[in-house]
Amino acid sequence: MAHSTAAGSVEQYNYDIVKKFAIMALFWGIAGMTAGTYIASELAWPFLNFDIAQITFGRLRPLHTSGVIFGFGGNALFATSYYIVQRTCQTRLWGSGLANFTFWGWNAAVAIAGVGYLMGITQGREYAEPEWYVDLLITAVWVVYFLIYTMTLLKRNQPHIYVANWFFMSFILAVALLHIFNNLAVPVSFFGVKSYSLFSGAQDAMTQWWYGHNAVGFFLTAAFLGMMYYFVPKQAGRPVYSYRLSIIHFWALSFMYMWVGTHHLHWTAIPDWTSSLAAAFSIMLLMPSWGGMINGIMTLSGAWDKLRSDPIMMFLITSLSFYGMSTFEGPMMSLKSVNALSHYTDWTVGHVHSGALGWVAMVTFGSLYHMIPKLWNTTIYSVKLIYVHFFLATIGILLYITALWVSGIGQGLMLRAFDEYGNLAYSFIETVVFMHGPLVARAVAGMFFVTGILVMTYNIWMTIAKRESRPAVATSTAAA
Amino acid sequence: MSEKHKITKDPITGAETTGHVWDDTLQEFNNPLPTWWLWAFYATIIFSIVYWILYPSWPTGFTEKGYTTGIKTVTFKSDSGEEVTTHWNTRALLAHEMQNDPNELKRKEMVKTVAATPLADVIKDPQKSAFVLAYGKGIFGDYCAACHQAGGQGVRGSYPNLVDDAWLWGGDPADIETSIRKGRHGNMPAHAGTLSDEEITEASNYVLSLSGEKVNAELAAKGKEIFNTKGCSGCHTPAATGMKALGSANLTDKIWTQAHVPEAKSVDDKIKAVNTVIKNGIKREMPAWESRLTNDEIKVLVAYIKLLSSN
Repeated sequence: MAHSTAAGSVEQYNYDIVKKFAIMALFWGIAGMTAGTYIASELAWPFLNFDIAQITFGRLRPLHTSGVIFGFGGNALFATSYYIVQRTCQTRLWGSGLANFTFWGWNAAVAIAGVGYLMGITQGREYAEPEWYVDLLITAVWVVYFLIYTMTLLKRNQPHIYVANWFFMSFILAVALLHIFNNLAVPVSFFGVKSYSLFSGAQDAMTQWWYGHNAVGFFLTAAFLGMMYYFVPKQAGRPVYSYRLSIIHFWALSFMYMWVGTHHLHWTAIPDWTSSLAAAFSIMLLMPSWGGMINGIMTLSGAWDKLRSDPIMMFLITSLSFYGMSTFEGPMMSLKSVNALSHYTDWTVGHVHSGALGWVAMVTFGSLYHMIPKLWNTTIYSVKLIYVHFFLATIGILLYITALWVSGIGQGLMLRAFDEYGNLAYSFIETVVFMHGPLVARAVAGMFFVTGILVMTYNIWMTIAKRESRPAVATSTAAA
Repeated sequence: MSEKHKITKDPITGAETTGHVWDDTLQEFNNPLPTWWLWAFYATIIFSIVYWILYPSWPTGFTEKGYTTGIKTVTFKSDSGEEVTTHWNTRALLAHEMQNDPNELKRKEMVKTVAATPLADVIKDPQKSAFVLAYGKGIFGDYCAACHQAGGQGVRGSYPNLVDDAWLWGGDPADIETSIRKGRHGNMPAHAGTLSDEEITEASNYVLSLSGEKVNAELAAKGKEIFNTKGCSGCHTPAATGMKALGSANLTDKIWTQAHVPEAKSVDDKIKAVNTVIKNGIKREMPAWESRLTNDEIKVLVAYIKLLSSN
């Protein structure tokens, strides 16, 4: 290629910022997943509360979700999007000082919010728990992120914008919209932490779930599809399966997701039309979601053997399989009749984790294993440990989802079972007793997953620590 | 970028690329949309359109309701007894199912029969008592078990046991019903200010002797004096058998609901446990359920509790 230069190309890209975000992704991954495993254990063995308010389920749960979504996922997205936009635009990241601001600002926001949760400071909005002062910091970081990304795209040395960047741009724009509108609130005082939402009642609930589901749609789906669109073809060494499919499913996905949030509120005090509208759009979202899975998996056609020989490819393709499964399960659960059984049970929690562990975490692990050795200009310390991580993670996810299917569907069926006299057959507490076994299995599944990321962190640590100081070579693989 | 727009053919699959290249190796095939994918996508759109025709779905602002109501209907009986047919909505659906679901009809029928039968007969009748045990379990589990525990055995020191034969407030169905309807306020005053430590210990020796515990006879004799003259007998009666009007405990039945007497290992520990109760007094409250449970539910609950304690 024309741009493959020899020495000096280390300076071509700003890798420093990518490295920082990648390391923090692992840090928050360990923190958030450990918190998750701990609260899963509290559900299985409640004495683990130790009657300490700060570590009860209600306080630790947002720490877990924010830790993994915004800490682990967010840092991974900043890292990979900054990496991808530079490499696919063949230009250095715009505004390196501002990029550092996004790093410190973002991580400070997650940390301040997390400490706040332990002290009981929360807006009580799922995935939007941070109070107004953290929301303002996030807004500032996000505007700068948008600026950096757009300016880098504008000064690209490529005629076309690569598909991964469309997804990242869609993610940045949608999250800005969602974050700002859902967090419109009036602080009680300038020096107090408490604020009240601008919305109330059913409108408040609908605004929250418009946000909540699009946090899934744009943060945890569109953005990670951006990650997938770079690392899958790169790792496979094959072209993306279909350019046309990528266009169609990108626009369909971006359009459809915005409508479906209300399916989180089926059978509640909202207008009936909002429910059926959301359910129908959820069904229409199935194929656009699968478009991404097809494009990723089919990219491997012609290189299927890599599924046996390349553990990074195993991570990426498994993540796409879980993505396909959970995007099938989701529309199904958003049908009102299925939702009547599934809602408020562990089935929902299991569904979220088949997406969060199976898709988001697995695609991130695969991408980081690909990217980190390149950032430090070395090779991975141990391929064997990647296999170990892969199997620990996969066993963990499968056990997790299965346990919560049993727990959730079981509880759902018990709550609607009748005895011979037409009475509801079970009281609520009996369903909780039934759930104990599956909840123990779920906690164990979490331990598998956490062990996996610890193995990964060791592997990455050794990769960076033991790297040979080689002469700087071209960052692009020079296929002249 | 001299090589841009150089479309190449893949030697393995025969597919053509779009000719764009990024980051040295990233390319895209120009494959068409998979046919099955496209048709499945169309199918979901058709499904949605059908769904929208059947159910309320689009806010129009023009129609009477402000949204399209859909052609699916639900019929139910209104409060005034007329049959109402409306567009599908969750409230109408709930009303319809509560009026027509076979399980609900069966349950209602049973509740009606139990309500019309005197309580004593309900308990004797095998079918009705089986229904009470099944229906009552749910009510008890939802409203009572949080304190009295799922089996009704209570928590010593906090919540009375309902399955033994001892009743603080009376065990007749009428007494139990009053307890449920109106709630109860148990209040034994603290004696730390009115009795000295020695006097309290003596009183403890006395009341434990009533349950046949091997205590110091001399102290117990002094304690009897205190019991009768310093206010204990006023509520617990001179015979120490308690008064159901006050909820004061029978101290002669070897049943201890507040002091941890049965678990204590030595007589000294038992005395200590009773001392604590006398010193600090007891305040407990059972909430009133009259406004939260229906008359039928309360009747079933009374029968359920009678059945529990007779088992």
